[in-house]
Amino acid sequence: MMMNSQDKITPSQAVVILVNYILATGILTLPRTSVEKVKTPDVWISVFLGGIIAIIASLIIVKLSQKFPEKTFYQYSQDIVGKWIGCFLSLLIIVYFFTISAFEVRIMAEVTSLFLLEGTPTWAIILPFMWIGLYLISSGINGIARLFEIIFPITFVLFLLVAFLSLGIFEIDNLRPVLGLGVMPVLKGVKTATLAFLGPEIMLLLVAFMKKSEKTKAVKVVLVGLTIPLIFYVITVVMVIGALSVKGVVTRTWPTLELMRSFEIPGLIFERFESFLLVIWIMQIFATFTITYFAAALGLAQLFKKNIQPFIFGLLPLIYIISMTPKNINDLFKFGNMIGNTALFLFGVLPIILLIILRLKGGKT
Amino acid sequence: MWGKILSYIPEWKVFMQGFIVFFIPYIIFKLFNGIVSKQKTHEDEMKEINDQTNQKVELEHQKSSQGSYDHYTGDFNLDVELVKNEIGHNWDVHVREFHIGNTDIRAAIIFLDGLSDKELIDKHILASLMGNVLKKDEQESIYEKGVFLQTFIKNEVLSVSDITEEYDVKQSVGKILLGATALIIDGIPNVLMLGTVKGKSRNFEEPVSEALVRGPRLGFTETLSDNTALLRQHGENSDLSIINFQVGKRTKKELVIAYIQEIADPNLIEEVKKRIQSITIDDVAESGYVEQLIEDNYLSPFTQVQNTERPDRVFAALMEGRVAILLDGTPFALIVPVTFSMLLQSPEDYYERWLPSTLIRLLRYLAAAITLFAPSLYISFVSFHQGLIPTKLALSMMGTREGVPFPAIIEALIMEVAIEILREAGLRLPKPIGPTMGIVGGLVIGEAAVQAGIVSPIMVIVVALTAISSFAIPQYNAGISLRMLRFVAMFFAALFGLYGVILFFLLLCSHLVKLKSFGIPYVSPTVPYRASDWKDFMVRMPLMMMKRRPKMLHTKDSSRQD
Repeated sequence: MMMNSQDKITPSQAVVILVNYILATGILTLPRTSVEKVKTPDVWISVFLGGIIAIIASLIIVKLSQKFPEKTFYQYSQDIVGKWIGCFLSLLIIVYFFTISAFEVRIMAEVTSLFLLEGTPTWAIILPFMWIGLYLISSGINGIARLFEIIFPITFVLFLLVAFLSLGIFEIDNLRPVLGLGVMPVLKGVKTATLAFLGPEIMLLLVAFMKKSEKTKAVKVVLVGLTIPLIFYVITVVMVIGALSVKGVVTRTWPTLELMRSFEIPGLIFERFESFLLVIWIMQIFATFTITYFAAALGLAQLFKKNIQPFIFGLLPLIYIISMTPKNINDLFKFGNMIGNTALFLFGVLPIILLIILRLKGGKT
Repeated sequence: MWGKILSYIPEWKVFMQGFIVFFIPYIIFKLFNGIVSKQKTHEDEMKEINDQTNQKVELEHQKSSQGSYDHYTGDFNLDVELVKNEIGHNWDVHVREFHIGNTDIRAAIIFLDGLSDKELIDKHILASLMGNVLKKDEQESIYEKGVFLQTFIKNEVLSVSDITEEYDVKQSVGKILLGATALIIDGIPNVLMLGTVKGKSRNFEEPVSEALVRGPRLGFTETLSDNTALLRQHGENSDLSIINFQVGKRTKKELVIAYIQEIADPNLIEEVKKRIQSITIDDVAESGYVEQLIEDNYLSPFTQVQNTERPDRVFAALMEGRVAILLDGTPFALIVPVTFSMLLQSPEDYYERWLPSTLIRLLRYLAAAITLFAPSLYISFVSFHQGLIPTKLALSMMGTREGVPFPAIIEALIMEVAIEILREAGLRLPKPIGPTMGIVGGLVIGEAAVQAGIVSPIMVIVVALTAISSFAIPQYNAGISLRMLRFVAMFFAALFGLYGVILFFLLLCSHLVKLKSFGIPYVSPTVPYRASDWKDFMVRMPLMMMKRRPKMLHTKDSSRQD
């Protein structure tokens, strides 16, 4: 795909894309998955550490991308490791991207049919969702960035609102003792927590879309773009554990939603606030779905040096079929873990290897 | 191992659905592309045909000009005949022949009854020409020199300010039809065109479609020169450029674009000119035609050109770096480019103090949100998520719906359609009957419908609130688009409940972020984030703080005050 000169995004748009991509399933499941591993109330420390690891990993990704400021990963990977391996790596990442978008769609369908639309078949929930995503993607990175900028403030305000409304049932005792069982449990949860921060890999592509004069700000973009979800996640974990306690969290599939269901504030028009959380959460899933879908389509287009349009359409059935493959919710979570482990390799290890290769090559010439 | 993998291969149904998920949007995409591309090729063909016909016409024109007369000859009878051949068959064209005072030089004036100023013709043209023009002894010498006679008449006889000489028959005829008077004098090879145009126009009145409490009570009229004059009158400003075009293939109409030279983005001006020149329709009846022919996306439900009757609004837009388009024969001026936020703003926001203006603006955004989402949220809460609303409210809502035989969507549709019909009917009725309609429709039908148990009282409240909110939007056509979209939202809600409303919101935003008006993103300044433009967006900051023009318009001079 030829890159249009107008297809440029500002640093603030890059930040928003990053935040919207990262915030997804994690908001609803992170408290449970991390507590399952840590088993003490110190989960928030794990989340904090996970965020810092994610920041370090994404800084490496940005450094790598800044070496080729005008190219996306799909283009420059071939420059580093040659045509065939480059193509192979790109394909891996493309597969990763559309798999994750399929995963997000399915999770969304599961939660929606559980909390909002009991009895509606999954396909009926997924189909319109994917079509709207298709409609958005056809407007390119600019349209995506603008839409994300619209839903970001809504997410921000509503999330803070529901988080602080739940202060009523928050009990600080549930979070004590801090480091009661030492540091080891905390470290056990770090990997799970890091997985909630999947998303900085989009910087492999985004740097190419930034304006020339603003490429140096990419580091700042990553720092801000990861700090915001970090704060979101820490607030979520602290609030959920504070209200439901460690034991209560483990038994619930969607602890954050349960938290919203477990308090009522009479007097306000809405007494219960899970609808608010669901609204912003569906929007966030939409954001994650569209950006990964776009990243996959863009990758295919750049790999085959063709127009992006046919790939956008071609990916639709593929994403749909993958999303319908897991048989039940447990399968789905396993599937999610699989994706996460792949991501740890693809975006934790691979950029470092590529950077080293680049350094060695640079030394020779 | 294999068995495990095989068990994960989905059923054939899923593959079928996978095909559907691809096929439906693909067909829609092809369909729309087909429409657009077909129209484009059609336009191209039209252009070619036009070019060919134009060439033919020119050729014929050249041929005919060799045979017959194109210019005035100086022979009185022949000249009058020439004009009569062109327009003499018209009932309202008058030819008055006479002799110039005290001589036997023959002359004639030709004018259009109705458009020309008869008083001026009688008192200042005919009277001075037929009176004692020449003294007896001067007669001979002047009669011999035709040209001298003309300058003499021009300089010493006619007390009319606007006089031009015209040699070409066609052009003079065109002017006569617009109200000028042609004076043909024997022996002179041209005609004098006297500016006696007295266009029919009405008085300046307060614009009906955009009433304000505070602000100038002055609206545009149907006369273009009056309208440009109103813009000029706003204050001395030598930068105000008013450039004219002629639009309409068959009925030529004057159209001007107005902009401030030192502020407006040259690219924008070029784009506007280009689009206006591409209009090839035979008659441009109203500025609505121009709007529809130059807008970016005709499939969008949103209006991409703002229309207004208020000169102050136009001028304020010009000062922001926008371009105004005024057409002869309509009081509605067009403003481009338009952003969504403009449709929720009123000139009054700037005339009142900033605090009330800000509050009123926020109120309008709320009204827009209610217009769009209130009925759909009602439907989704009633038919899907009774659990999400407070128990007491849910109970009372269900209680009032007890006798209603329809599902919520039908109930809502009945009332919404009824209120749209009421609105439409009230619009067309003569003024004295309008309020009666409101009482009969709103009160009687609403009350009776509730008592008959067809709709629930809460539904009536929701519908009434929605309708009133939609009228709180200052721009009439923006209100219409929102009301239209409200029905789409209702269907989404009926299918998917709250999830459907979210989907609708995402769809709407996806459309809005794609939309552009003359190169400016329709949703700016919302996104991309431009904090400096937010001073005049949902809030209206004090004037002292609004020191810059909107950044999104790429103006040449960005500062408004020091």
